[in-house]
Order: sequence, then C-alpha cells, then structure tokens
Amino acid sequence: MGEALLKVSDVTKSFAEVTALSTVTVDFNAGEVVGLVGGNGAGKTTLLRLLCGLYQPSSGSVQGVVDEKPVDIHRMREHVGVVPEATGLYARLTAWENIRYHSRLNGIDDDLAWTRTERFAKLLNFDHDLHRSTRGFSRGMRQKTALLRALSHGPKILLLDEPTGGLDVTSARMVRKLVRKLGDEGGTVIYSTHNLAEAQQVCDRIVIIHNGTIRADGPPQDLISSTDTEDLEEAYVALTEDVARTDSPAEDEGRIARAWRRLLTRGGGSVE
Amino acid sequence: MHLSRILVVAKKELIDFIRDWRTVLAMILVPLMIFPAIFIALPLFLQGEAAELSAYELTVEVQGDLPDDLSIHFEGRNLIIIETDLLVDGTLSDPGTDAARLNSGEGEHIHAILRLQETDSNASQSWNYAILSDSTDELSLEAKTRTLDAVLTWEREVINATLAENNLTYSEAWDPIHWDGDQADADVASGGDLAAMGLAMFIPLVVAMWTTTAAIQPSIDLTAGERERGTMEALLCTPTARSDLLFGKWLAVATVACVSVLGQMAGLLFAVNFLIGGGLEAPSISTTGVLLLLLSVILFAIFVVAIELAVAVRAHSVREAGSILGPMVLVFIGPTLFAQFVNLQGIESWWFVLPVFNITLAMREALMGIYDPVHILLWISTSLAYAIGAIWWASKQFNREDLVESLS
Repeated sequence: MGEALLKVSDVTKSFAEVTALSTVTVDFNAGEVVGLVGGNGAGKTTLLRLLCGLYQPSSGSVQGVVDEKPVDIHRMREHVGVVPEATGLYARLTAWENIRYHSRLNGIDDDLAWTRTERFAKLLNFDHDLHRSTRGFSRGMRQKTALLRALSHGPKILLLDEPTGGLDVTSARMVRKLVRKLGDEGGTVIYSTHNLAEAQQVCDRIVIIHNGTIRADGPPQDLISSTDTEDLEEAYVALTEDVARTDSPAEDEGRIARAWRRLLTRGGGSVE
Repeated sequence: MHLSRILVVAKKELIDFIRDWRTVLAMILVPLMIFPAIFIALPLFLQGEAAELSAYELTVEVQGDLPDDLSIHFEGRNLIIIETDLLVDGTLSDPGTDAARLNSGEGEHIHAILRLQETDSNASQSWNYAILSDSTDELSLEAKTRTLDAVLTWEREVINATLAENNLTYSEAWDPIHWDGDQADADVASGGDLAAMGLAMFIPLVVAMWTTTAAIQPSIDLTAGERERGTMEALLCTPTARSDLLFGKWLAVATVACVSVLGQMAGLLFAVNFLIGGGLEAPSISTTGVLLLLLSVILFAIFVVAIELAVAVRAHSVREAGSILGPMVLVFIGPTLFAQFVNLQGIESWWFVLPVFNITLAMREALMGIYDPVHILLWISTSLAYAIGAIWWASKQFNREDLVESLS
C-alpha cells in the first residue's frame, strides 16, 4: 500500500439544518481501489464532492498529498479524474470532442489525450464510437465516454460515483474490469456504490458509510470476520442496523421561495 | 486568469451554439432579416396584394339618377355599374333590405351600392349620397374605395363649377392663407440629418431589446441548463478556475449577443440603403459617431450578459431561470424607452451616470452628432464600472457551492 494521496480529517458537512457527513476521518492511499458503500442518502456523493473540492467542509479538513507534501484540495484537481453520477456529456459534441474539451481544461495536449483515450477505449471496446455524437448514446456508452474523459489527463486518482448504476450486465462488467485493471497497474480508484457484490469483487478496501458517519473501513474479508458474519451483505447489515435517515441534503432554497412553497404545500412542505 | 482556458471554454460554447440550428436561426438569421422584412418585404408584399385587388372587376349598383358628370369618373376604374331606382324610406345610409343583398353572395354579386339623391338647393347642384358596403369583405371595401374616389372627384368638379359661377377659384375659397412652396424645403436640416435623427429614435431601443433578449437563452443554457443536464459538476471538477469558466461562458454569450445585435443593425442598414435607392437620403453619421455607437453597444452587452449570467447561475433549473429572466427584460427596456423622450438640449450630466439611461442617451448623442466630452467621459466610465460590477457579481454567483446541484 502506498502513501496517502487524500486525507480527510474530522470532516463535518452540513446543508442548512441537515448534516450530511459527521466527523469523518479517512485516508485514501496510492494504489488502492476503495469502495464507498452505503445506502441512498448515506453521504457517499457528499464525500466524493468534498474529495474533489466541489464542497468545502463545514469543519475539519480535506487535503491532498503530492510528492509527500500536503496541497490544497483545489490544487489536487489536476491529479484527479472524476466521473459524476450524471456523466455530464454535451449532446452536440462527439465523444472525442467531450473528452478533448476536458483534457484541454486540464491543460493536456490533444495528441497525448488522444493516445490515452484510444488505449482505454480499446479496453472498453469503444474505439469505433469515439467520433459519434453523444446524442442518443445509451447509458453504457455515456458511462464509457465519461470514464475516458476522466482518464484522458492521466490522473493519479479516479473518483467514480455509482459508475455501474443503470448499466447492462456487459457494460457493468467492462467498467469493473477496467477499474480492476487500473488498480492492478498501481492506480488509485475511489468507487462509490451500493452494490455489495460489486464492491467485494473490485475493491481492495471498503468504507461503509451510514447516516453520514463511517461505520467500517477495511478489506472486505476483514469486515466479514470482524462482524462474525458469512458474507459482506450480512456484515453490512450488522454494521448499519439503525434505521437509515430519511432526510437528505436539502437544496439551498431562498427565504422567499421557501416561505411561498410552504404556504402552498399541505402540511407546510417540511419533512417530518 | 488563464486566457487559453477561457478561450477553450468560449470556443466550445460557440461550437455548441452553431451546431444547434434553432440557435443560429434565432440569434443570427432572424435579427439579420427582421428589418429588411419590415421595411422591404412587407411593403412589397402589400403592394402586390393591392395590385392583385385592383385587378378585380367589381360590381357597383347605383340607386337613383346617375349624372353624366359622375358617370365619366367611373370609367377606367374596373367597375361594372348597374343602375336601378332609389327606393329608400329612411336615410340613405340605412341599408334596409339591401344589407342581405350585399352579404348573401348569391346570384349576381353586388360589391357595393351607391345611393344618390338630388336635393333642393340654391346652388347649381346639390346631392346626398351614401355608399353601402361590407367592411369585412375585402372586395366590397375595394368597391367602396373606388366608388368614393369617383364621387369625391366629381364633388371637386361641382365645387369648382359653383365657385366659377361666382367668380371665385378653389384656393381663394378654401385655402386663402397658404404655405408658399414645399414645407420640407424650409427645414434647414439636411435629409441625412433627418435620417440620423430617425435612427436615433429607435436604434437604442433595438439594441436594448435585442441585446437583453438575445442573451437570455444562451445565458440560461450555459448555466442553469448545464446544472439541469448534469454537465456542470464534471466541468467544475477540472482544475480550470471557476472565474476562467465563467469568463469563457460570458465571452461566448457576449459574442452571440453582439453578433445578433450587429446582424440586426446590418439588416437595418441594408433596408435603409434599399430605401435610399427609392429616394431616402443616407443618414449623416460621422466615424466618431459610429465608433461611439459600437463602444456603447459593446459595453451594454458586457453589462447585460454578466447580469443575465449571474441571475441564471442562481436558478436551479431552466424553468426557474426563464421565469426570472423573461420579466427582467423590462428592467432594461423600460429605462431605454423612457430615455427616448429625454431632451438632449441642455440635458443634465447626471443622466449619463444612471445605468441603462446612460447608454441609451449615449447612442442618441452619437447618432445625432453631439460629442460632449463630459457626457462621453461619464457614460464610458460609469458603464465600465457597471460592467465590472456585474461581472464581479456573476463571478460571486459562479462560486456558489450549490452550483453542482439541480432540482432534476
């Protein structure tokens, strides 16, 4: 296991009255494939967004480490590739144009980005679709394009938010295979999922998040043995026995908008 | 600030715009064609329609005795005249049973009915008349116009004849105090000056309306649209600074808005040139005036686009952004409209400090050839300050943490 690349220390993240993450401390090390496992609203996406600097912690700190020196999380971005849950492709651009746009924003030369993209596209059996418009792409094709986009600038860390969600069996398998290959080649991947079988299959280490706190952190086998259970699913259930919260990070709604909505909503529109 | 990254963003956004034919149509072709359509195509179309209407042979029934003096004026008007007796109880304007004959369209269709009745008078000739027609029927209206034209020509002749019998001329009786020569000749302003004044009356309005409306759709698309489609999160994960992303987007929207407004002005100049061929004089605008006009358009575009981007960034969805930006257009158009009526003679300098008013008045002065250094200094400096303030506010909005979230 290599040095820590991302250090999350005692981080709490709140949105209005909702605490999405509470006093979370976790390190992500070089050469690991880490699975962030948790139910809907557990705080996985919030943690990923903190890791790429989209969110600022309400308290605590998130730091990157480059060449054994701590760096601000924003300066870490050039070393991070991100695949958000929504993939985020521009429909009027081709797959390659989408990838090239992001690689240019990462300051990468087009030729270098193309070489990297072509290599990974072949692994995903996607090299013949690179010059097609993304309009009309299937979920699997969109996911592959987003993965290639995240890899085009040669990041040290790859952050994937539910990368196999909504994919068919073949596409999901291909994505898992690529993630495992990146891990085997010494890459660092942080992988959010609620699919336990997938996490067990792909990840070297699993971090279980529940109700905004970390309930367990370790290799899958260690989690199973420490909970004295048969498999990861049982271990997960044992570790997250309390009821999952029903509130989720709320939209930062304006005062007038909130008052108006509550006025016109039966029961005041609040989550009870 | 990283210029190359700003240009990467702007270039991508412009490619995105150009690949959408609806945007090209709405932002470039429509503004380019709107004035030629209003000033050239519409009059040509109306002329064609009028010519088509005048080619119709129409039937007019004349009720009562048709004097020969009037009869000759019906010649050459493409009218078929049917003479019948006058059988009216009330006034001549009361259609009575003739209303059904004009409306029915059955049998031999009559388009209009002229009722004539000679009255007792000391004068040599005196008549009452009325023309019955259907104002919802274009052919009936045309028949009425041709008939009325013939009757009025005849009336003029009757008046002249009566005056002649009393040793008077028409101008002595009806126009004893009259303007000598052409009124237009007495105006010392040149035709070019007048044309420039005409442009000054509506170019500021065109610029204000089109800049504000042209920037709405791209501003929404590049901010709230990106949030809704989920492309914003991936974009913000790149190491490019948010300010660079915003400047790139702003540059793209400002370019589209400026191209749109300049396209509209080019269309206007083309239409004016076309009309000049028809006798209108070219507007007299100096090079300084044109440069000041362009500068004011650009500064206004910078200001408006930054404000619209900032407002659109605050919105969580395209619908929310549209519902705010649509009515917001009035914030820009209202002062522009108001400023059109401000007297430029002896105008107080503080007008050139007020946002939107300053640009509108600057455009009017540039087009009218008024170059007051204090006014110019005031509107350039305040417009720059407003533009910088708007960009700063937009930049602040673009740094919001909730930018990655959407309601969808």
